[in-house]
Amino acid sequence: MRFYQTNEFGLFALIILFGAFFALATPGFASVFNVFSLTRIMSIDIMIGFSMMVVIVTGGLNLAVGAIGVSAAMACGWLIEAAGVPYPVAILLALAFGAFLGAINGILIVRSGLHSFIITLATMSIFFGLMIYLTHAQAFRVIVPEFAQFGKLRLFGTVSALLIVSCIFAIALYVLYRFTPLGRQMLAAGANAAASELSGIRVDRTYIICHALSGALAGAAALMVVARNGAAIPSMAGHLGQDWLLPAFLGPVLGGTLLMGGRVSLLGTFLGSALVTMLTNGLLQLRVGEFWIQAMLGAILLFAVLLDLARRSYLQRRGIY
Amino acid sequence: MTSLLEAQNISKSFPGVKALSDVSIHLAAGSIHALLGENGAGKSTLIKIITGIHRPDSGNLLLDGKPFHFSGPREAIAAGIGVVHQERNLIPRFSIGENILLDRLGGSLFKPIDYESVHQEAKGWLDLLELDLDPRTQVSQLSVAKMQLVEIAKALSLKSRVLLLDEPTASLTSHETVALFSLLKKLRDDGVSILFVSHKLEEIQEICDTVTVLRDGRNACDSQPMTNVGRQDLVRLMIGRNEQIPNADLRDHKTEEPVLELVKVATELGHADINLTLRKGEILGLYGLVGAGRTELAKSIIGRYRVTHGDVLVNGQKAKIKSVADAIDAYGIGYVSEDRKQEGLILIHSVLDNASIPIWKRLSARFGFLTDREVIAAINPLVEMLEVRTPSLQQLVGLLSGGNQQKISLIKWLAANVHILIVDEPSVGIDIKTKAYIHELLRKLSDEGLSVLLITSDLPEMVALADRILAMDQYRVKGEIVNNRNYPEVSEKIMGFIHS
Amino acid sequence: MNARILRYLQSDWAGPLLIIVMGGAVIAALKPTFLSPFNIQVLLLAISVNAVIALSQMIIIGIGQMNLSVGAIGGLAAISFAGMMQVWELPPLMAAILALLIGLTGGLVNGFIIARTGISAFVITLASLSIFKGINLGITKAQPFYHVPDSVKAFGNTVMFGPIPWLVSPMVVTVLLVFYLLTRQRVGRYILAVGGNLHAAELSGISVKSTIMWAHAISGILAAMAGIMLVARLQLGQPSIGDDWLILSFAAPVIGGAVLAGGHVSVAGTVLGVVIVAIITQALVLFEIDPFLVQVVLGGLILWAVGMNRIREVRFQKSLKRI
Repeated sequence: MRFYQTNEFGLFALIILFGAFFALATPGFASVFNVFSLTRIMSIDIMIGFSMMVVIVTGGLNLAVGAIGVSAAMACGWLIEAAGVPYPVAILLALAFGAFLGAINGILIVRSGLHSFIITLATMSIFFGLMIYLTHAQAFRVIVPEFAQFGKLRLFGTVSALLIVSCIFAIALYVLYRFTPLGRQMLAAGANAAASELSGIRVDRTYIICHALSGALAGAAALMVVARNGAAIPSMAGHLGQDWLLPAFLGPVLGGTLLMGGRVSLLGTFLGSALVTMLTNGLLQLRVGEFWIQAMLGAILLFAVLLDLARRSYLQRRGIY
Repeated sequence: MTSLLEAQNISKSFPGVKALSDVSIHLAAGSIHALLGENGAGKSTLIKIITGIHRPDSGNLLLDGKPFHFSGPREAIAAGIGVVHQERNLIPRFSIGENILLDRLGGSLFKPIDYESVHQEAKGWLDLLELDLDPRTQVSQLSVAKMQLVEIAKALSLKSRVLLLDEPTASLTSHETVALFSLLKKLRDDGVSILFVSHKLEEIQEICDTVTVLRDGRNACDSQPMTNVGRQDLVRLMIGRNEQIPNADLRDHKTEEPVLELVKVATELGHADINLTLRKGEILGLYGLVGAGRTELAKSIIGRYRVTHGDVLVNGQKAKIKSVADAIDAYGIGYVSEDRKQEGLILIHSVLDNASIPIWKRLSARFGFLTDREVIAAINPLVEMLEVRTPSLQQLVGLLSGGNQQKISLIKWLAANVHILIVDEPSVGIDIKTKAYIHELLRKLSDEGLSVLLITSDLPEMVALADRILAMDQYRVKGEIVNNRNYPEVSEKIMGFIHS
Repeated sequence: MNARILRYLQSDWAGPLLIIVMGGAVIAALKPTFLSPFNIQVLLLAISVNAVIALSQMIIIGIGQMNLSVGAIGGLAAISFAGMMQVWELPPLMAAILALLIGLTGGLVNGFIIARTGISAFVITLASLSIFKGINLGITKAQPFYHVPDSVKAFGNTVMFGPIPWLVSPMVVTVLLVFYLLTRQRVGRYILAVGGNLHAAELSGISVKSTIMWAHAISGILAAMAGIMLVARLQLGQPSIGDDWLILSFAAPVIGGAVLAGGHVSVAGTVLGVVIVAIITQALVLFEIDPFLVQVVLGGLILWAVGMNRIREVRFQKSLKRI
């Protein structure tokens, strides 16, 4: 247990360090507006990280996080604008829709026995294509003002309210994994599906629930983007939702959620995503060419997986696998 | 005779278990050397050390008197050491010929591979083993036995000076074994040093010149000439003098209620016409050779695979077991898997998390939440009762010894309060002391009302523990006898059933 | 004779070929312009580039891995090709060779890290995809290179004879070379051996590490070649080249019968898979169906194809009939 404390603590230390560095290096970084903007982006990246994390925990992948997220957000926009549904209901329905799409992934994976990579590669394309077709690539811009207002809401004058939302989800997920049988079953199924099945865990059902959860979290992330933009835009996650893939992996992997499943670190994912967002923001403030940011993020991911490897061989030397 | 290949005082530990302790073996040129030992004695580890897959912690390896250490299979092959492992290692979609000559396909940047000559050369090696196979056949089309022979042909084609064969006759018919043996004798006469690992004492006595026996990671004997050692000596060396696990008293359960009945059961895995009755407090043994279908039957009973025909009755009522969760929660049936590390336990999770899997739902029934404290309260007493040696409940199960891991497997089911327990190969890879403990435990639990279906390939274990024994072969039940603890009589009857 | 026909029918390319012939016939019947020389030319141009993209991924599928950076390598090679001709004024052939070397390097970086660390190819290529794309954007600042030499433009858009464009020739050569590699060259056989049973390949003395590096190096070269061909066809060095290659690069090999676990791929099947995708894309345009639906169709094709392959695998496993 002490080992994991080290990891989260390390991330926390890095955040403080880099935060101090950027604040000193450039005046704009520590400005009230930038901190606000930073916390806003951070909350979104954290949610995206969570959405992939819950699937990684079961040893799988979900390439469709972006596609599902955007689809849920556009569904919300349509419900509010075209169907006149009151926005709280629309939000819930959108989250349910995200869960529904995630469940489709889960069912396809479980029924076909195929790897989640190829299934979610295909559904990423299908969901996004259908979404674009149905919306004709048009954005919904007449979202109710409450959305944008919530997006602009600040606590203590600097911290975005969206960060609180992310924190709430983080706590809920923590409770799931620590204090509910379902969460423990997810961890067991991810660590060793065969042994879990023979111990009475319905592994198939667990996988489907994980994917549904992933879809709902992706939807939540996308709704936060809508709040930030004040509009539901189909390109919010890039072509096929690809833009979300990198942040989706960076958070969990930096945070210590092993790619092979069975272990999870919520605080780690939270801090990992936060660190990456801060690094990106800081570098932008330092006027490091925005075009080099992407290369840097890729390098961070590479570093993170090498770290993951080092972690694994540490565990190996201690004799786990 | 000078040794061609020597291992001196080899020790090797893996975390949690000492696989080899000061083991030595001397292989002479032109001899067939037997390597004997029970499961978990260290035979495969020794072979892997010789071929460079593992590094020894201490000790020396000598080839032609010169120390060696291979860092991979290629070096071992180049040095003239060929291996045929226990598991099959062939490329499924490649032809027989290509598999045999995989590292010698020829061809270069401007010259395509000449498959004609590849297959022709392969045919030569197949003929040596009297294998009438077309070398162009895709390996995936072959039976397991033929695959094994192809691998032997492959090892031969390497013209090794040392040939390590790990259970080479496990899947062969007697005819194929005869052909193999005559070939091995010829190789021996040509000066090849052969290491022959096997369980089958008759074969060892027929063909081997010298023998080394391993027990619990140590030498029980080192490179003795076969002429000095008789069958009884071999058995005694393998299982040890104090092994005499006391035979339990005889018990009679004829008047007890049947807790589990299988009536004309067929499964999706190929069982047919299985009839079986397990009575309360009974230990019913299910004996069979590898491939008999016992584990598959067990997994069908607990709902992992489908019963396609016939009835399964629990406590006299027809049971519809649709999943393992059903079997545990609704019918109180548990299954201790034979493959502890892959299917029985989650190695990267803690003792606590492993032992409590089946009871999470029950513990959280009230509010839907459960805390570690509740789980510990349920599990700790059992951990103490079974004297599991672990520094704490948070210890990762992968770090425990085999014996303690097996205890955790059992605790899982005791915590779940099952009243029918299927135990599959309970003593594989476990030290003698824990083995005795588990036997006692199973006996005590069955006296207290637990009904046990015992699957084991260890006939002495079967005779010591079981009240009645069913013999299985090829996914059918071949016969049944009441156990009178008379080993020769019981074993002969059972073998008779199987071979009928 | 009947046994031979049966064997052909069970091969990976028979199904796709049948689909192409029947589908093509139906489309041509409904829209005769489908078979017009102009349309054939357009189809062939698309097929030429996509086939090379598909082969780039197919090699990695053969070794049992996946390469997410195919598009990023292709894009980087493409802008390098155009950039070298425009800024350094290098002759096209030299620029092409250097661009191929860039592809080779990119592939080797992937292969080296994967082979040495044993980390999953998915994650490594996800990281490298961002790095390569990042380098691309860093160099181009998202602006295309417009000054592509006329010879290159012509190569990418004119015909050899009839409706057959020049662009087909590098594709055909590539297809033949890859086929030869996988059937008659040690490197190719080792790639399939490692994909088929890594442990067995290792025990036979094959160097799994070098085989992995070879596979990724070849994949990188092929990706770069596709990038170069696209520059010729699009007539500019577009930084966004490669952004949409991912789905296609998997769809075609999978339609062609590739087993994602590794060890079994079909060059003919992959090429036919490319043809199917091209025909379907074309048909959507001809029938004036919303082009956005192409994505849905591609995704659906992948699901269908892996589903079919899975069924065949399961039947194959069950049929492991013991001689």
